[in-house]
Amino acid sequence: MESFLSRYRNLVVLLAILVAQIIGLAMQVRRTSAGHSTLDADDQGVRLIRLWANAVISPPERLIHATKLGVVGTWSNYFDLLHVRQQNKELQQTIGRLRLEQAALMEDARQGQRLQALLGFQEKYIYATVAAQAYGSSGSDRSHVFYIDKGARDGLKPDMAVITADGIVGKVRDVFPHTAQVLGVNDPTSGAGVILETTRIRGILKGDAAGQLEIVGVTEDQRIKAGESVLTAGGDLIFPRGLAVGAVEKVVRDPDRDGLIDIIVKPAAHLDRLDEVLVITSTEPRFSPQQQQDLAASEQAAASDPVKASAIMAETLPGLLDPNLPADQQPLHDTSNPNPASRPPQPLQPDKYSPGHAYTPPNVEPDPNSNAGVESPKSQSAHPIPDGAGPPASKAAQPPPRQKDQ
Amino acid sequence: MALLSADSRRDFEIHRYPLLVYALVPLAALVLQAWLPRVTSPYDWFDLPLVVTVYFALGRRNPIQGTLMGAAMGLFEDALSHHAIGINGIAKAVVGFLAASVGIRVEVDNQIIRLLMNFGLSLLSSAIYLFVTRFLLNLPIEWSWLTELLRAIGNSLIALMLFPLLDRLHVRD
Repeated sequence: MESFLSRYRNLVVLLAILVAQIIGLAMQVRRTSAGHSTLDADDQGVRLIRLWANAVISPPERLIHATKLGVVGTWSNYFDLLHVRQQNKELQQTIGRLRLEQAALMEDARQGQRLQALLGFQEKYIYATVAAQAYGSSGSDRSHVFYIDKGARDGLKPDMAVITADGIVGKVRDVFPHTAQVLGVNDPTSGAGVILETTRIRGILKGDAAGQLEIVGVTEDQRIKAGESVLTAGGDLIFPRGLAVGAVEKVVRDPDRDGLIDIIVKPAAHLDRLDEVLVITSTEPRFSPQQQQDLAASEQAAASDPVKASAIMAETLPGLLDPNLPADQQPLHDTSNPNPASRPPQPLQPDKYSPGHAYTPPNVEPDPNSNAGVESPKSQSAHPIPDGAGPPASKAAQPPPRQKDQ
Repeated sequence: MALLSADSRRDFEIHRYPLLVYALVPLAALVLQAWLPRVTSPYDWFDLPLVVTVYFALGRRNPIQGTLMGAAMGLFEDALSHHAIGINGIAKAVVGFLAASVGIRVEVDNQIIRLLMNFGLSLLSSAIYLFVTRFLLNLPIEWSWLTELLRAIGNSLIALMLFPLLDRLHVRD
């Protein structure tokens, strides 16, 4: 036996390591009653080996990332400074415009909140976020996860939504003390409820092997066109409703199921080039203090600058500005009436139905012999105009209905 | 024929390295593998831990060390992903074992041999990954052999550049 082990020592060690890992895999994977295999989720926390790997790999990885950011930042800051004054001026103008628009939108949102309260439904708003830097990945194109430099110490928990200003990015999966692993929306194992903005078709968004976003298993519909916006539907309890996801790139037939299509989506966020992301740590059915502060500032700005507000409204309204005309010839400044009210033709023999003819009720004396509330034939003949037959002016001139005698 | 024979003393020469190299080179491979795809994506057709495993297995010519190193590198890679832990561990353990076993029999300092070894072992690693995931665990997986082929080519090219650099680190008698 000893000679056998020494002779085949290499093979025995290989087999021992393979068997140990296969047993480890068997303990992680479950077979469902439907015959499918699923990976055990780390519901009870993070596996120690993932924690160890993260503790070993993260510090040098963050160091490399910080060095790269430092070098790139120093270089780009120099060039940014060359145009900073002009950019600052443009940004100030943009902020002023956005504040006014925000005031209008917030008013709509408030109205929506009131209506939702009446319906017993509560929309949740992004209440608190944590900004984080993405610094690393899984290192495998089969696993679309990346790491961020914020963790449990910053209040992060599994299943929190991760977004950028452009759109959704993924959800927090494993949380370590100072870092966290984020599962990208373009991973085949991810899923997010989405809705097409125009056609209101709902579906599940996931990634394919190449990391491309697709909405799978949608019933064929001719209305779906390339370019249509895709938003979060809010039904997955992870992403709040209405966040940008991307735009429809193309529609392909589902290779496995007849009559169904897959919608390929071009992501709104740059999933391959993520640097700064926001983790939504809290959603509430009310605005955050920061949003309320912004709202107050917006309303103040809107009240103090009504001219600007009207200019913005003019910009947003279609047809009031012609880009091909100079400012003094814009239709907005044209005081002449292009459609003067035309007078109706005068009738040859005016009567009580003619426009402009005010109906004068005859002076009807109540018949003391008639029953109360019942009109006499005489009085009926004095009111020949049937209900709704006369012009509005005539109807307005009719006497009020007679009260029943007590 | 001289390339494949193990007659000369050179074929049995075992490369030895300072302890720091054994620790830092695999660590650097793991860190760069996790960081570089953020820069090179979507052209991340390389597997640095596999290249380093093959290098040390070929140089050390010890199948047990090759197996252990491959398993450790694979387990670290699995732990950084969100997949089951052990799939890459199995694949790279087999790769390390085979590389060391072949290293005993062939002239491993030849660049063509190194290129072919990396190409073949990369494809083998992908095939084992696919086999374990799809057939052993019955987990859903989307697969593209073109990507695996590109990865094998990428690994071979990286090995061509990296192996001569790492050769400078080994301790000479």
